[in-house]
Amino acid sequence: MTLLRVETVDKSYGDEEVLNGVSFEMDRGDVDVLMGPSGSGKSTMLRCVNRLTDVDSGHIWLDETDVTAPETDVNELRQDVGMVFQDFNLFAHLTALENVTLGLKRVRGMPEAEARDAARDHLEQVGLAAQAESYPAELSGGQQQRVGIARALAMEPKLMLFDEPTSALDPELVGEVVDVMADLAEGGMTMLVVSHEMGFARSAADDIHFLDNGRIVESGPPEQLFERPEHDRTEAFLTGLQSGEHR
Amino acid sequence: MSAEEPTAADEVRTTIDVSTDRPWAWLGLAVFWGWLVVRWVNDFLLPESIAVPGAQSFLPAAPFASAAESLAVTAASLGAVGVPLDFVAGLLSFVAGAIPSLPALARGAWLTIVLTVAGIALGFPIAVLLSVARVYGGRGLRWLSLSYTELIRGTPLLAQLFVLYFGLPLTQIVREVPGVGSGFIPGTAAVVAILGFTINSAAYQAEYIRSALESVDAGQLTAARSIGLSKREGIRYVVLPQGLRYAIPGWSNEFVYLIKYSSLAAFITVRELFFRAESIANDTFQYTELYVLAGLFYIALVVSASVLMNAVEDWTAIPGLGGRR
Amino acid sequence: MQAGDWAFVLDNADYLLTGAGVTVGLTFAALAVGFLLGFPAGAVEVYGDGLLARAVSASGVLLRGTPIVVIMLVLFFVVSVSQSAFVTAAVGLGLRSAAYQSQIFRGALQSVDEGQLEAARAIGMSRFEAIRHVVVPQALRRSMPGFQNEFTIVLKDTSIAFAIGLAELLTRGYDLFTQTGRSTAVLEVFLAISAIYFVLTFATNRGLDRLADYYAIPSGENR
Repeated sequence: MTLLRVETVDKSYGDEEVLNGVSFEMDRGDVDVLMGPSGSGKSTMLRCVNRLTDVDSGHIWLDETDVTAPETDVNELRQDVGMVFQDFNLFAHLTALENVTLGLKRVRGMPEAEARDAARDHLEQVGLAAQAESYPAELSGGQQQRVGIARALAMEPKLMLFDEPTSALDPELVGEVVDVMADLAEGGMTMLVVSHEMGFARSAADDIHFLDNGRIVESGPPEQLFERPEHDRTEAFLTGLQSGEHR
Repeated sequence: MSAEEPTAADEVRTTIDVSTDRPWAWLGLAVFWGWLVVRWVNDFLLPESIAVPGAQSFLPAAPFASAAESLAVTAASLGAVGVPLDFVAGLLSFVAGAIPSLPALARGAWLTIVLTVAGIALGFPIAVLLSVARVYGGRGLRWLSLSYTELIRGTPLLAQLFVLYFGLPLTQIVREVPGVGSGFIPGTAAVVAILGFTINSAAYQAEYIRSALESVDAGQLTAARSIGLSKREGIRYVVLPQGLRYAIPGWSNEFVYLIKYSSLAAFITVRELFFRAESIANDTFQYTELYVLAGLFYIALVVSASVLMNAVEDWTAIPGLGGRR
Repeated sequence: MQAGDWAFVLDNADYLLTGAGVTVGLTFAALAVGFLLGFPAGAVEVYGDGLLARAVSASGVLLRGTPIVVIMLVLFFVVSVSQSAFVTAAVGLGLRSAAYQSQIFRGALQSVDEGQLEAARAIGMSRFEAIRHVVVPQALRRSMPGFQNEFTIVLKDTSIAFAIGLAELLTRGYDLFTQTGRSTAVLEVFLAISAIYFVLTFATNRGLDRLADYYAIPSGENR
């Protein structure tokens, strides 16, 4: 069952073409990873899926909904698509628990008690039940990101978007976040991930799309891309990645 | 200590930006200053034989008044269509009413500028001493500096002026000083007002400079001392040049503040801009015209000050240090 | 300075302290007006566009560029807002404060990281809800230092209601020495008044510091 269909999406900022005829599909339960050099349009692609950025041309379909159509209710759409940010973007004035309950109470209209219970479950799912009353500034980067994941999960989205979730973390904190993402993948969540984390891509991804200069150069399962890439550009990038060139 | 501590970094810029794509603003300022300077030269410098008499304005008011009248009549006859004409007629009659008071206001504006500039300029060296004492001084000096700034900043400017003018026998002393009140030099009350503004401004400037000095990285002074400069030399040649640049936004604020609050000198009989506007209004009952005019004058002065300070900031900017982004 | 003059001040202490009460009342009234007008104005300048934002911005420039004494006199004699000097002074000081508070709030709203708004929108909040529940609470806290500053400024500016004859602290001091003819006590009277003002500003600063600490968002460090 196709959950996400991206159809020849173009996006330019002024003269700069950031996305050029990008197309791919995702089935329910798929975990796809977007990789590529910086500036290749990966993050922009992600932000087009939940309309934080608008496409110039092309279509994006989530289930039966045309995301890109002007009449689509953006706020309703975003309840079905969860996003995890590189800079976490936790609500600084709220505790971890309140970060998760905010959407439940204000957007879904849940009563306080119910929201708190649901939020606690999600925090437990990411291993942070004990930090429920802590403020973001009191948490480590890895903990903050996991709260961010819980916040997105609480809305019970059909699709989860991850925008370089570990890029801002110290190396020793990356693991705890990747573990949570791997658990999610195993649990059947449909995930579109922009990341340099090769370990995750290798083990959890169903498909990897390599983007360069706004185009998908190559797509395929991890074994193909990492072992038998069809394009020189892909090989060059991934080798550089493995030797720690790209961060 | 006092919460009234704007840091140089997060200062709320209350200055006004005259962007280059607003030519009419530049034109307005040019006309304003052009006229003002000509008026001053005429009143203070030109000999009586060639000068326009002090009480007489350059432009006659009559043409404006009659133009206003005829426009108003035309507007009335046109009915609803004539409303914009009526508006223009109103403007013209305002101008006609304002013209006769312009010469007096120009002389008041001179005093306003003198009060402001003197207050800031004289307050500056005191402020530098106060802030250096506060940041680098020993316990006694720090306490003295702090007390001064807290006391002055914690009491109203008007009260300070009253203390100086009514409370202390300053007027008697100042009156005796030769030169006071003749020609360019301000009169007794104005001198007392300048003293008040100096004392007041020094306290506020000290705060701006202090927080600017504190934004200079401590390592700068350490490096200065490590090449053999004494503490005093280090402060003078390394810390102050950087710190003073950070303080420029604070000075913009102080400049604008003092231009507006120089109006309080009117209450100790200084015949500056506001005093003049008020006395003419009380005589002619043209309250609207005079207060609007005064407002326009002040806004022109404030905008000019902002433009000037922006230019200063750009002129003293070093890459990576100060200047506007 | 003579002891007799200080005794004179003490005898009239209640007259002066009533003036202090008027001063404090006027301060709160003006700040309330300033907040009610200034906060929306700041939000409009940040989030609004077109004619409304420009009009708000222009009125702010006008109010910040005109001396408070001119504003008060215009409101009293030209516009005649009210017969009551207190109301007129509150409106005048309030308008001036609103113009400055709008800048405080504008800066605070702009200083909240873009990502906060994005994250709120990403969970399905509308722009208005996101601003209301995520940006505003943080912006209000960041406004505290500016607001503390504004408090003391307004408190001292109430002395300018002298110009419209309001019987606040400074006016009463002035009346005390002009009307009773005790001209020798001038210095003592004004020193006493200055002392009262100083106590008022000092106390409000401390009080607001406490308030700021109470509402502060806990940070991980020990500040």
